[in-house]
Amino acid sequence: MFTESTVTFIALGAIFAFSFYAVLNAGQLSLGQAGFASVAAYTSVLVAPDPDVVGDVPALLIALVVGAAVGTAAAVVLGLPTMHLRGVFLAIATLGFAEAVRIFLLNAEWTGGAQGMSVPKIVTPAIAWMVLALVAYWFWRSGPTRYGRALEAIREDELAAGAMGIDVGRHRLGAFATAGAVAGLYGVLWAYTVRLVAPADFGFTAAIDGLVTAMVGGTTMFIGPVVGSAFLTVIPEIQRALGVEAGWIRPFVAGLLLLVVILFLPGGLAGRIPRRIRVPNLGGGSGGSDAGSDADGGSTDLRTREHAPRGDVVARLSGLSKDYGGVHAVRDVDLEIHSGELLGLIGPNGAGKTTLVNMISGLVAPSSGEASVLGVTAGRTPVHRVAAAGVSRTFQHSKLFDRLSALENVLVGGHLVTRPTLLRRLAWLPSARRDEQAALTHAARCLRRVGMLDAATARAGALSYGDQRRLEIARALAADPSLLILDEPAAGMNTVEAGELAHLIRSLADDGLAVLLIEHNVGLVRQICDRVVVLNFGEVIAAGVPAEVAADPRVVEAYLGTEA
Amino acid sequence: MQQLLNGLFIGSIYALFAVGFALVFGILDRLNLAHPAVFAASAFIGIELVTVGGLPFWAALPAVAVVGALLGLIVERVAFRPLKGRADAHFAGLISSIAVAGMLIALLQWRYGAETRRFPADTFPATRFDVLGAQVTLLQVVIVAVCLALVAGLTWLVARSRLGRGMRAVAENPTAARVLGVNVDRVTATTFAISAALGAVAGALFAMNVSSAQLGMGSAIELKGLAVIVVGGMGSLPGALVGGLLLGVAEVFAVQYLGSAWRDLVAFALLFGILLLRPQGLFGGRKARQV
Repeated sequence: MFTESTVTFIALGAIFAFSFYAVLNAGQLSLGQAGFASVAAYTSVLVAPDPDVVGDVPALLIALVVGAAVGTAAAVVLGLPTMHLRGVFLAIATLGFAEAVRIFLLNAEWTGGAQGMSVPKIVTPAIAWMVLALVAYWFWRSGPTRYGRALEAIREDELAAGAMGIDVGRHRLGAFATAGAVAGLYGVLWAYTVRLVAPADFGFTAAIDGLVTAMVGGTTMFIGPVVGSAFLTVIPEIQRALGVEAGWIRPFVAGLLLLVVILFLPGGLAGRIPRRIRVPNLGGGSGGSDAGSDADGGSTDLRTREHAPRGDVVARLSGLSKDYGGVHAVRDVDLEIHSGELLGLIGPNGAGKTTLVNMISGLVAPSSGEASVLGVTAGRTPVHRVAAAGVSRTFQHSKLFDRLSALENVLVGGHLVTRPTLLRRLAWLPSARRDEQAALTHAARCLRRVGMLDAATARAGALSYGDQRRLEIARALAADPSLLILDEPAAGMNTVEAGELAHLIRSLADDGLAVLLIEHNVGLVRQICDRVVVLNFGEVIAAGVPAEVAADPRVVEAYLGTEA
Repeated sequence: MQQLLNGLFIGSIYALFAVGFALVFGILDRLNLAHPAVFAASAFIGIELVTVGGLPFWAALPAVAVVGALLGLIVERVAFRPLKGRADAHFAGLISSIAVAGMLIALLQWRYGAETRRFPADTFPATRFDVLGAQVTLLQVVIVAVCLALVAGLTWLVARSRLGRGMRAVAENPTAARVLGVNVDRVTATTFAISAALGAVAGALFAMNVSSAQLGMGSAIELKGLAVIVVGGMGSLPGALVGGLLLGVAEVFAVQYLGSAWRDLVAFALLFGILLLRPQGLFGGRKARQV
């Protein structure tokens, strides 16, 4: 049943599926891979030396290198102008690119039109599987690195990934370029297997086949494409063995499989394989009892940050305003935040609190005024740069990376303080292992600080609401911030949980962090904050120590209305 | 003049096809990639109705629309409804509709084989007119009339009727619409049915125009349809109409001045130009990104 060509085609299908996996794993749907593959195949067939002169294998090697390079280049050229497109638009643009390439190749003279160009057959099953092994090796080794986790974080929540200091644009382009390189390898291998490069092999159907294989196999585990390809390549063989000779069965089954997978098995076949996560042993108890004793900096393998000395200004807002089409969400706010200070920001619903912190963390550009935060101008600086300057935050509505474990969420939070390990992991250097271990230990410490080490392996999306809020704080802490913004962290917590949380937040400020706390629970704010700012209709109506502010008649009025 | 008219004929079919795409995208925010499969299927079914069923062309067209509407209901039920409420519904819907499209085309291959099917030569009278010095066949006039009437009818439906109000409510905010008593599931299903019926009529007319149907005709027009709705502004009905006519005319002139080989590149040139310069399309409003 497994003829030589079946074995080869399983490998080819898996390689092509990997080029979809590369982008799907980062949350992008690109359908341009067939275009990259055909450009790479045609170019390398033209450029590669004659196998009769240099020998089969060297000729193929040169062709593969050329193919990967051309594929990457094509992806970057297409990616640069289209990376800002999202979802459906990216899919359409890339599909258009692939189709444009196909039409061009069909009509250009040097390509031999629809007949294509003939190519010697060099690829054997062994060669195909070696290339597949190489590609799979890349994805296997890159998965659990800072880079690999950043891509997964972008897939789960682009906005939160940016707020954790990940340069979303560059990472997306990186994933795209990887897809181009892998598609290039596939194109060359395909040509040297079927002895032909012809436009028909790189059409829409080919793209859909690759997508189906990647989706059926699974897009969250590096082994997915291989599983998918083995499965789909074997179907026609089984069909033949059973003596059914109808051409429509394979596409029908492929479609049905894709449908079943997307509806009932969103992780694909390989999604059934559990992810293995090692939680480092921190020694001592795993509870949150010693919170505060192990602040950052315990490990020498992490990048350290310079924190402003206690009492320094970390953020200065002057005349900051934001209008949404005539609605003044925030009006002319002046504010200073000092390090080591726990500043409470309160106000009725719709007072503009979240808009204000969105401006401070760089997610929203102010309409006028300026927010100077840790040496950068928020709003005119990309979000990830603001994060790199030392701003870290949680969100009013949890923005966790739902399909990652709690520990992985915190690892992503540590993006800015951990070292890149991808290249060293590919080369299997021991220092990479050390650095990864340091990152894990750092993440585990942050989890322990919020009292969640026991839940390290749980999927973030499956945690209770209160745990999700605490996990977000741990993730924000992992960035070793100078300014920590907490947007309603106690929402949905019971009194006991809120009390523990208050204790934790206070201890963070005592460690020297500047903490900006948005909270509805006025009691909690009065109890722990050094200073309170009250916002109403976008304007600061009161500021000062909690007791004074709470007695301010304007504040009472804002919360309870005027005395009748 | 002749070229301009030819462009408008083919363009009106593109428009009718793309309006179906745009309707679902505009109201339900989903891209239904099974739409081209419905287009192809109805061309085959139309031919079968005429050759085997002996229906005259006039009767076959509404019959095809009904079949298309049924296919639309099936697509909605199988590929979209089970995804309701899922966080990745946008992405998953794209994939599941591709899956259904693949199955539908496979079934066509099973039923009709891989060869090209043709309308019998005498299905339509070969009457010709002279319009401003250009040759026009009766068929072309009928195609334009049917397309424009359907698009106009749809625009009226969405803007004026009770169903259209429901559609617009769902487009604005499905949850609020449900609270206000709109039967969101029914509106969704109806939208898919109407969209697919339009695609089906477009498929039958397209097959009539070239008097044949092939399995690949869906994917050939799919990319053009996508280009048209991107150019017109995703979800904009007048945008899809103008975009379709624009593409048809542009293609005809490309054939004349650049050579027929480059005709299919026009769509992608338009697509890229718009995506890079004005991603919201000619008629689309920009949707604010939400934090």
